[in-house]
Amino acid sequence: MEDYFSSADEYCYHDYYDDDDDDRDASYGLQEIETEVPLPCTKGPSCEVITKESLLAAQREDLRRIMDLLSLKEHLARTLLIHYRWDVDKVIVVLVEKGKDKLYAEAGVTVSEHDNLSSELPSMVMCIICIEEVSATEVTTMDCGHCFCNNCWTEHFIVKINEGQSRRIRCMEFNCYAICDEAKIRSLVSARDPNLSEKFDRFLLESYIEDNKRVKWCPSVPHCGNAIRIKDDEFCEVECACGLQFCFNCLSEAHSPCSCLMWELWSKKCQDESETVNWITVHTKPCPNCNKLVHKDGGCNLVCCVCGQAFCWLCGGPTGKEHTWTSISGHSCGQYKEDQGKKTERAKMDLLRYIHYHNLFKAHTDSFKREAELKETIQEKISHLEERQSSKDFSWVTNGLDRLFRSRRVLSYSYPFAYYMFGDDSVKLEMTKEEKEIKQNLFEEQQQQLHANVEKLSLFMGEPFDRYPEDEVEELRMKIINLSVITDRLCRKLYECIENDLLDSIQLVRHRIAPYMSRGLEKASELSICWETEA
Amino acid sequence: MQASRARLFKEYKEVQREKVADPDIQLVCDDSNIFKWTALIKGPSETPYEGGIFQLAFAVPEQYPLQPPQVRFLTKIFHPNVHFKTGEICLDILKNAWSPAWTLQSVCRAIIALMAHPEPDSPLNCDSGNLLRSGDIRGYQSMARMYARLAAMPKKG
Ligand SMILES: [Zn+2]
Ligand SMILES: [Zn+2]
Ligand SMILES: [Zn+2]
Ligand SMILES: [Zn+2]
Ligand SMILES: [Zn+2]
Ligand SMILES: [Zn+2]
Ligand SMILES: [Zn+2]
Repeated sequence: MEDYFSSADEYCYHDYYDDDDDDRDASYGLQEIETEVPLPCTKGPSCEVITKESLLAAQREDLRRIMDLLSLKEHLARTLLIHYRWDVDKVIVVLVEKGKDKLYAEAGVTVSEHDNLSSELPSMVMCIICIEEVSATEVTTMDCGHCFCNNCWTEHFIVKINEGQSRRIRCMEFNCYAICDEAKIRSLVSARDPNLSEKFDRFLLESYIEDNKRVKWCPSVPHCGNAIRIKDDEFCEVECACGLQFCFNCLSEAHSPCSCLMWELWSKKCQDESETVNWITVHTKPCPNCNKLVHKDGGCNLVCCVCGQAFCWLCGGPTGKEHTWTSISGHSCGQYKEDQGKKTERAKMDLLRYIHYHNLFKAHTDSFKREAELKETIQEKISHLEERQSSKDFSWVTNGLDRLFRSRRVLSYSYPFAYYMFGDDSVKLEMTKEEKEIKQNLFEEQQQQLHANVEKLSLFMGEPFDRYPEDEVEELRMKIINLSVITDRLCRKLYECIENDLLDSIQLVRHRIAPYMSRGLEKASELSICWETEA
Repeated sequence: MQASRARLFKEYKEVQREKVADPDIQLVCDDSNIFKWTALIKGPSETPYEGGIFQLAFAVPEQYPLQPPQVRFLTKIFHPNVHFKTGEICLDILKNAWSPAWTLQSVCRAIIALMAHPEPDSPLNCDSGNLLRSGDIRGYQSMARMYARLAAMPKKG
């Protein structure tokens, strides 16, 4: 065992560290850190934040492309894009495959040939809506050539906006499917009701978010007002400018490597069973021998049942009694064996199984919260060190902490994943018993290695290194850098295991998993506005 | 609302003037309520409804003419697009294809056109719709004529 454990802490007694392996990986990893190997396929930002202010600019680019491509006015381009859910490529595909006329007809776009009709109007015009003779200055002609008095147009627009049809307000003429020019709508409505005109503008702008599969509102509560636009795959996790991290596909918290379906089932299950299960899981655990619930308050992680069975509080597995504060001899944690509970009936087994995974999930999310509090104390430690150290580069501390957060997250969500992956049939993964067992062993080995190293990293990050002499700080620095590299690699391997070994291609369609982000979730970047340079 | 009232008043004056011009339609406004109208329309020639006089009831909404009036037959009629019991009419211009450019008078004209050209694919009266769709034009016509004679024709002698 490495001497890393000399300053033992109560919540880590696992050790899967293998010396030979580590040296090789550490040197490989150091190289990787120094050369900052960029992640594959990151050409430009893959997600951008759209604020109230940049919403207009965000759609300008798409509008401009369509306006240029088809020589259309802005409101027609918008009508077209709203119909095709702001998918410019789709518009082009339809244009190529079906032609312009079909493209326009499907979207209800009517292109006029009456552009200079208004100049030919007589001084007085009969509006057939109000049946009134009105002066030519009091009428408006739309692109389709249909002319009515401003009063009637305004009434028509107000009714339609209030009906929530801002995005497609049609001409009043019978059998005319032309969409009215938004500039004309705006000027007429604002003369009567400026508030409604603003509402109209907002509806139009927000269509870019609400009718667009690449853009979604940030799910923050209270709402930050932002939306996120992604480049390609909707199965990704993003961080809004407001700081909220979420799954772009299902809009719940970031949950990779759990699939959206698994996460949905898991959160529902946690809710349904929270009252009963929470109390039980916090205070008691079933004995692996007699299934009696055993109560623990404080003390080490070895508990004893009245039947005499000793077991591990963290994983519930049976153990011997020989133990130290940090380890139980001969015991490795995290493996849940279904046949342990052979004597219990099915329903109870399911609950126990759930409790097992729920405990591990909760233990890690709790650790995550504790570690998040480390952030402040670490900053203090750094400033202490800065006062007296010759080397002023303490990026290894913050990098180490970031690595701890990221790998802890992966670890937490790997438990609900495992619950469904190797569980009953609620997600219909259809495996033979043997297949499941092989896969479960494979996965749990990876998971345990990650677990062990995350705990180790957590331990190091908690050390009072600001009080260490310089050479010990240097030693800790190397350990943290090495461990960071190892946990990063293990996270990556865990994802590879899921995608290559556990789920086949058909299952991966149902269970799309947001990719591992070695550098943390991508913060949505400020919108880059390209249309100005192109125009 | 003022706009709808003004417009209905204009239509009223127009109707008075055009009475002679369109002998097939007789639109009458309720004495006390300008939003309630009735119309008498002549069954179109060369249809089973020929010779009949059919009464329609209009309920005009306050948003008129931005929203369509509600129209139904008061006279019993056997027609695939008219509900046999309630007299409700299934006609696109009275729903999503409505345009404010329509008037009560032009709606009457559209209904006369519908009597001459039924739409068996959106039937409110399933029996007549089925007769027409199964190609039993003779069956449909005789039923329609029978009801027209019973309900829409002045009793002779
Ligand atoms: Zn028009
Ligand atoms: Zn008018
Ligand atoms: Zn946000
Ligand atoms: Zn999701
Ligand atoms: Zn026991
Ligand atoms: Zn003990
Ligand atoms: Zn354990």
